[in-house]
Amino acid sequence: MGGISAHDLRMEFDGFAAVADVGFEVATGEFITLLGPSGCGKTTLLRMISGFLAPTAGTIHLAGEDVTRTPPEKRDTALCFQSYALFPHLTVRENLEFGLRQKRVPPADRETRLEAVVGALDLSPHLAKLPNQLSGGQQQRVALGRALVMRPSVILFDEPLSNLDARLRDQVRIEIRRIQRDFGLTAIYVTHDQAEALAMSDRVFVMKGGRIEQSDTPERLYGRPRTSFVADFIGNANVLEAEVRTVDGNGLVQLDTALGPLLAASTIPPQGSRIRVCWRPEDADLAATGPNLLSGRVTHRAFQGHFTDLHLETGATGCRIQTKQPGIQEGDTITFSLKPEQIVLLEAVA
Amino acid sequence: MMSAQRFNRILLVLLLSLTAIWLIVPFTMAVMWSLVDPSEPWTADRLVPPVISLHRWRDMWENSSLKTALVNSYLLAPSAALAALTLSMPTAFALGRIRFPGREAAKILALLPLIVPPFVTSIFFTSLLYQIGLHHWRFGAILFAHAIVFMPYSIRILTVSFEQVRADHVDAARDLGASTWARWKVAYLPALKPGIFASLLIVFIQSIEEFAIAFVVGSPDFTTIPTLLYGTLGQDFVRPNAAVLSLILVVPNVLLMLILERLLKSANPALNSGKG
Repeated sequence: MGGISAHDLRMEFDGFAAVADVGFEVATGEFITLLGPSGCGKTTLLRMISGFLAPTAGTIHLAGEDVTRTPPEKRDTALCFQSYALFPHLTVRENLEFGLRQKRVPPADRETRLEAVVGALDLSPHLAKLPNQLSGGQQQRVALGRALVMRPSVILFDEPLSNLDARLRDQVRIEIRRIQRDFGLTAIYVTHDQAEALAMSDRVFVMKGGRIEQSDTPERLYGRPRTSFVADFIGNANVLEAEVRTVDGNGLVQLDTALGPLLAASTIPPQGSRIRVCWRPEDADLAATGPNLLSGRVTHRAFQGHFTDLHLETGATGCRIQTKQPGIQEGDTITFSLKPEQIVLLEAVA
Repeated sequence: MMSAQRFNRILLVLLLSLTAIWLIVPFTMAVMWSLVDPSEPWTADRLVPPVISLHRWRDMWENSSLKTALVNSYLLAPSAALAALTLSMPTAFALGRIRFPGREAAKILALLPLIVPPFVTSIFFTSLLYQIGLHHWRFGAILFAHAIVFMPYSIRILTVSFEQVRADHVDAARDLGASTWARWKVAYLPALKPGIFASLLIVFIQSIEEFAIAFVVGSPDFTTIPTLLYGTLGQDFVRPNAAVLSLILVVPNVLLMLILERLLKSANPALNSGKG
């Protein structure tokens, strides 16, 4: 077992930096998600950790050992492929045993390890089948089993759920997390699906343009995004520009925005005199008291069952709120308030 | 609707009959000509030969160089097939798996030798064989020539096969600790297998039927079945003897083609597995 530490990792392809000066520490048993839009460098980073790409610069340590130039076949990592990559001419059992045979694990030991994984993933009815006789979800479990049976110190996932339908995705997601905990594995999980990232991870690394934009727990990432990119990428957010008027000693910040004056409470000082701020649509409180009192006319209403999505026209701009009250109609004018701590200060405007 | 269906059926029957005639007529003619007894010639006014015997077969077997020609041909063809396969592997790997500028052009370039008429190739190839001194060992010279001349077929077939090897299978094998050889066995070989068989069989058939090089390099003392056949045709044009030889030439080829069909048709699991 062991953690991962990366320092100043850089990967260039023909002069283009796909990953630029990334550094991080991952503790043993931690579940980390690399989240970002396509082309953000998350898969490149994963392939450097698994050994398929040798970084242009920087170092990677696995369980304290420098593996920067170690090829994947000699690295104590196991990768679950997006395409599953099961060997089509081998049975499920042969697929599961493949890695153990390569590592010359003695037959008795091989059998014990196989049984543990087959039991945990409920694969015993399928051992004699070929991969193309299995459903997508079953193939996914075999791929997971083939990686788990190696007992790697780090398990890596490359968008493993993207080929499954929504219902199955939830189920496999829970299963992956359970097994990762049971086996005490350190996991790196690549996805572009923010819901997946929030639901599974101990920490999420949000990536953009080859850099880690923010690494935090899902709760902090959602509640305290540091940039408008993160705020916008994770969940819905109303992002707007603001002029900083005053900052007092208690962290209360007076702001001038297109929505009108707003009062924000922040533990960190504003990054400049002109910054971006954000708030979550579900934080709008229709009880309408407090300092940040706003009103607007409803231009669009979408009933979603457990909440109603409203688009408002407020002053010179617009915003979006979510409410549990289904009664509000298009054309209504409503008033709502925001608590100062619900307004999050983001980066300075360049 | 009904009439279209009927029309299609008629077309199908017509096509099948034409194909059958096209295949059966020359084949039957060859069989009948090979059975003509020398005592009674088969004249144009008769539908079948007047006297049927195996005399020509016996005669060819005993009084010509058929036996050595058979041995030569059936040693030469598999050797040429193996040699062409071995020689084309690196090129096919490069064309199928490595990205480099001008790859598509290189693929076409590798096929170009096939459009040159065989006699032109053979004459110039022979002069090359003389220059490198290989002509003293006739078998080796023809083997070398066949392997080189028919390489475009193997290169083309194997390039397609190499393109079908899935990179994620290679990566998965590596990730699970597979050595170079184990990776080759688990990720490459299953996808290449049909291509390897196809390439072996096609070069085999080409080599066994090849006349120009075998004739120019081998004659007069090294005979293969085609050179013997042309010899029979050229000197005194004994049609029954030629029929015997062409049947010897064609029957194994038909069998091999059928095997080839089977192999290519048999599902290649590497190509139809799950998601990818």
